[in-house]
Formats: sequence, C-alpha cells, structure tokens
Amino acid sequence: MEWFNDFWSTYSTLVFTVGVHALLALSIWLTLSCGLLSLANAAFMGVGAYVAALLTVNLEWSFPAVLLAGAVTPALVALLIGAPVLRLSGVYLAMATLAFGEVVRITILNLEITGGPEGLNGIPLITEGWHIVLILAVTIYSLARLRRSKIGRAFEAIKEDEIAARLMGINVDRYKLLAFTLGAFIAGLAGALNAHFTFFISPREYGFENAVDILTMAVLGGTTTLIGPMLGGTILTLLPELLRSLHDFRSLVNGAVLILVVLFLPKGIWEPRRIRAFFGRNKGDQA
Amino acid sequence: MQRVSKTLALIGALSCAGLAQAADIKLGVAEALTGGAAQYGVAIRNGFQLAAEEINAKGGINGNKIQLIIEDEQAKKEEGINVFKKLIFQDKVLMVFGPTLSNSMFAAAPVANAAKTVVFGTSNTANGITDIGPYVFRNSVMESDVLPVTVATATKHYKLKQVAVIYGNDDAFTKSGYDVFKKVLEDQKLPVTNTETYVKGDVDFKAQLTKIKGGNPDAIICSCLAEEAANIMLQARGLGIKAPFIGGNGFNSPKLFEISKLAGEGTFVGSPWANTNPAPVNKAFVAAYDKKFGGEPNQFAAQAYDALHIVAAALKDVKLSGDLNADRETLKNTLPKATLNGVTGAFKFRPAVTKTGKPGGWDADQKPFIYLVKGGKFTLYETK
Repeated sequence: MEWFNDFWSTYSTLVFTVGVHALLALSIWLTLSCGLLSLANAAFMGVGAYVAALLTVNLEWSFPAVLLAGAVTPALVALLIGAPVLRLSGVYLAMATLAFGEVVRITILNLEITGGPEGLNGIPLITEGWHIVLILAVTIYSLARLRRSKIGRAFEAIKEDEIAARLMGINVDRYKLLAFTLGAFIAGLAGALNAHFTFFISPREYGFENAVDILTMAVLGGTTTLIGPMLGGTILTLLPELLRSLHDFRSLVNGAVLILVVLFLPKGIWEPRRIRAFFGRNKGDQA
Repeated sequence: MQRVSKTLALIGALSCAGLAQAADIKLGVAEALTGGAAQYGVAIRNGFQLAAEEINAKGGINGNKIQLIIEDEQAKKEEGINVFKKLIFQDKVLMVFGPTLSNSMFAAAPVANAAKTVVFGTSNTANGITDIGPYVFRNSVMESDVLPVTVATATKHYKLKQVAVIYGNDDAFTKSGYDVFKKVLEDQKLPVTNTETYVKGDVDFKAQLTKIKGGNPDAIICSCLAEEAANIMLQARGLGIKAPFIGGNGFNSPKLFEISKLAGEGTFVGSPWANTNPAPVNKAFVAAYDKKFGGEPNQFAAQAYDALHIVAAALKDVKLSGDLNADRETLKNTLPKATLNGVTGAFKFRPAVTKTGKPGGWDADQKPFIYLVKGGKFTLYETK
C-alpha cells in the first residue's frame, strides 16, 4: 500500500491526463468515424474549460452542474457553426475548423472575464480519479452502443461514400451535424475535467498545436476501433514521462518513435485485422 | 565474541559517520530546458549550477553538500505539475526552484503549497503568484516595482510631457507589462497620446507608428518582447520619429541593441540586474559564468544564482533534523528572514499583499537598476 501511495502522489496528475487525453481522442474519433476531418476539438475543449472554470470560480456551482455546462456550451457552439461549416469536406473542412479554433482563441484573448493572455488562475482542485473513470466508462459504453446502432451505421456509410449514403436515404447533413456536436460535447467535458485539476488555464493551451496533438492521438492509435484512439492518447501522454531519464534526448526519441509508428503502421497501432493476421500466421508456423 | 561485538560497534560507528557525512541537501530545480522558454530555462539552470558548485567548493552549508536535482518542465503546465510531484514525492527534495514561466507556476505552485514544500520562483513576474500560499517565494522583481522607477527616471531626464504606448496584446508577459505601465502613467499623471497594439509574430508596425507619430509624443513606451522591439525601433526611426523609447523587462537584452544599432539610442530600461554593476560579487559572477559556460550571463542566470545563495543563507542558520517534513517546515519559517547582498544587489523578502487578505507567500523587496542605452550598449544611469 505504501508504494501505491507514493506512486499515486507522484503520478496522479499523469493518470488524470491519460484519462482526459483518451476522452479527447474519442471525441475526434467520433467526427472521423463520420468522415469529417475536423480540427476544432481543441477549441471546443477550451470553451468547455473556460465555461466550467468561470462557473466554479465566480458562481460556485456544484461540480456536476459545472461539468454539464462545460459540455453543453461547446455542443451548442458546434450546432451553430456546424450548419454552415459542415457543407465543406476534406481539407476545406479542416481549414474552416482550424479558423474557428483561431476565432475562439482570439476571443478568449480579448475578453476581460477570461483573464486575457494571462489566463485564469486559482481554479480549485475538484476533479477526482473516479470522476474521470466514470465519465470515460460512460463515454466508451455510449460510443460502443452508438457504433452498433442505426446512427453508427449511418456514420459508417457516410464515411465510406457520401453520395451512396445519400442515395440510400440517409440524411447526411443531419448525421454529420450530430457527429460534430457530440464530438464537441465530449471535448468540452474533457476540458472541464482538465481545468479542475491543473489549477490554471490559458488560451495558448487550446491553439493549433493542441488541435494537431489530439488528431495525432487518434491517428497514432488507429481509428478503426474505439480502443485505438484511447491507446494513442495513452501512449502520447506516457511516452514523454517514460523517456524522462534520457534527459536532453527525450524530445528526439519521442519524435523518432512517432515517425517509426506512422511509417510502419500507417493505419495506427491498434488495427484488429493486422493483429489477427499476425497471430494467425504465428499459429500457422507452429502447426 | 568480543571481537564480533567490537566489529559490530565499529561498523555501527562507521555507518553513523557515513550518514552524517552523506547528508546531502537535495534541492529540486524544475525549469524549461526544451521548448519555447528554453532560452530562459537553460540560463537559469546554469545560474543554479554555478552557485551550487561554488557553495560546495567552499565546503557546502554547515558541511552538507548541495545536490541539485534538475528536471525539464518544457514550459507546459501539466509537465510542470508532473515534475513538481516527482521532485517532491519521489526524489524527496527539501524545496523546489522554478518553474520558468508564470503560467507553469500557477499550475505547479499549488502542488508544492499543498505538500507543504517551499517553492521558489526566480523568473516569475506575474501578479498573483504569491497569492497561492505561504510556501510560495520569489526573488524575481515584479514589473510593478521596476516600471515606476523607470518611468520616473525617464520623465526627469527627458522632461517628458506626453508619451505614446505600444504593446503586444496577446502575450501574457507584454500584456501584464502594459497593465502596469498604464497604472504607472496614471499615478505619475503623464498624459498618453496614443495606445497601439500588435500581435505576436507581426513584423510591420508602420500603421501603428504612423498614428503614434501623429500624436507627437515626447517618448514611446513599449511593452514588447525583444523580437518585436527591434523592428519597432528601426521602423520608428525610418518614419522619422525622434522620440526615445522606454522599455519593460522585454527590452532587457543586450542583443536587441546590437540589432537595432543607433535606433535604440537613448532608451531607458529598468532591470533587476546589470551586467555592468561594479560590485565585486557581480564581477566575480560574470567572470565565473563566462569561464564555465563561455558567454555572458543574463538577468535570469543572475537571479537563479542569487536565489540559491539566499536559500544557502537561510540554511546556514538552521540545523536540519533529517525528518523531511519538519525540515521543509523549518525552511519555510526561516527563509523569509534571509537577506543577501548578491549580484542583483541588496535583497530581502517582503510579505505578499494578497487579493483575499489571507496570508500569502513572499515577494522580492529589491531596487531595480536603471539603464540608459548609449552607443548600442547598456550604461548604468546615475541620477545626478
């Protein structure tokens, strides 16, 4: 028990971050599963984080209410901007969502209530381990159910061929908006959770770099299953910490590992078909 | 049998002696050694290493050697928290220095404060950092202590009647500098002709400077980082603006005035440290730094160097018990009384004035140096 206490007091924030990154990776997986390359998730995370933190600091709302507000607000924003933006596809959508991210960042920079570029500090420590575990579990369960439902099949159909899906009678625009909004909801939730264990938030945390980071998690892990994005998020969070002993070479090795994975496993680390094939071949060798 | 017990006694005595000798004082250093703030973090680390070597060469503190445990916090807030936790709970350091940026400090200092461990910032100038709690210390002089002196000195020297202001409004450092300037100008009743803004990465400032020129100010106050400041000064001269500049901490870079050449002539800058400070301790520091790292130190290295000497001064007066929690508490109680006549001048702590009125941490109580730029070089300005 002693070693666990030691471990927990040192690494609890890291474990929390793994959970939050898993949520973020799932949020972008959702939009990707509908064939949307959206880079707005960092901005939605920021909206969620700021709304939640401001409610806690200024109005002292209870934590569940804060989390809900932190998730619903970005979802509403997604509904508003989704209608015009989702008419675009491919890189054009990526560019539009990126621009939206910049709009959010600059808005936060210039508002008085958000503390501007100096950020918001003094956010109390409220997030606990079980909050993250519970929310992550509910999210995974819901997404797993969603995949097997009519909505999930529709997402899949849109991703594979939009025109064919439309011909089959799927309301493509509405389903796209749904994926986009749900993604924003999860990202906002992740932001709200994150703000309540890091004491401080600032606009620079929700910029372009982080949008790309979130995308990297999903792509690194693989987007064919739910496990992939979570695995990617976990690896991207833990790798720098595991490499800490390398000191000056840390960033170098970290980058090299990512490049190798992308080069040799272009469909991500967790790709069921390849893993099955691998074990199948091994069995064949033994026989 | 007797021999055995003798041997045992001998072993016991030896191991005790070993314990007494090996009582290294472990101090954590969490700075941004890679990433965007590495230029500051590395200088800070160098300052600490130099100070630790010197203290250990002189026999350490009451015979105990200082052992620095240095970690990279990459100027990211999560990383800052992780590193702080590792240093405090795993490496079991007596106290932690750092992190480099105020942002990381806001995230990491509550961790140290909750663990009842002293956290000592050497480069964090933002308002509200020492509000976090009684375990938070810093020897970085805040802009609100430096700028009033800078502006007052410049006003007297140039007999200023009105000034213009330009600042970057999307950067925590330049924006908070502007807020202080604004308050100082109000306090000193100096009228402002124009206030112009830019964003990070801008290279063309002619639009803002043309407007400033129209207002005909006697001086231009600039809360900018060195990158933008060089362009602003050169373009101002290009537009025929003759007014001198008054800079915040961002101007505090010898390189800036090498680049801008004569455009920066007559600029007033306030700084917690002057490399031309003629005090013997500073001369020795500059020489030792140059010998070890091959280059001139900067303000950040100087403040880190002083910070370790301040802690050493505090530790000299106490007896460490070996019980980590008790020792951390002892340090927290002794550190406020520590004073130093270091490379940044006479230093002492003063209790922070918090927004809530609750007891906070400890800020630096130190007079800044005022520079006047002459011939592309910083010269210490003496008020006559």
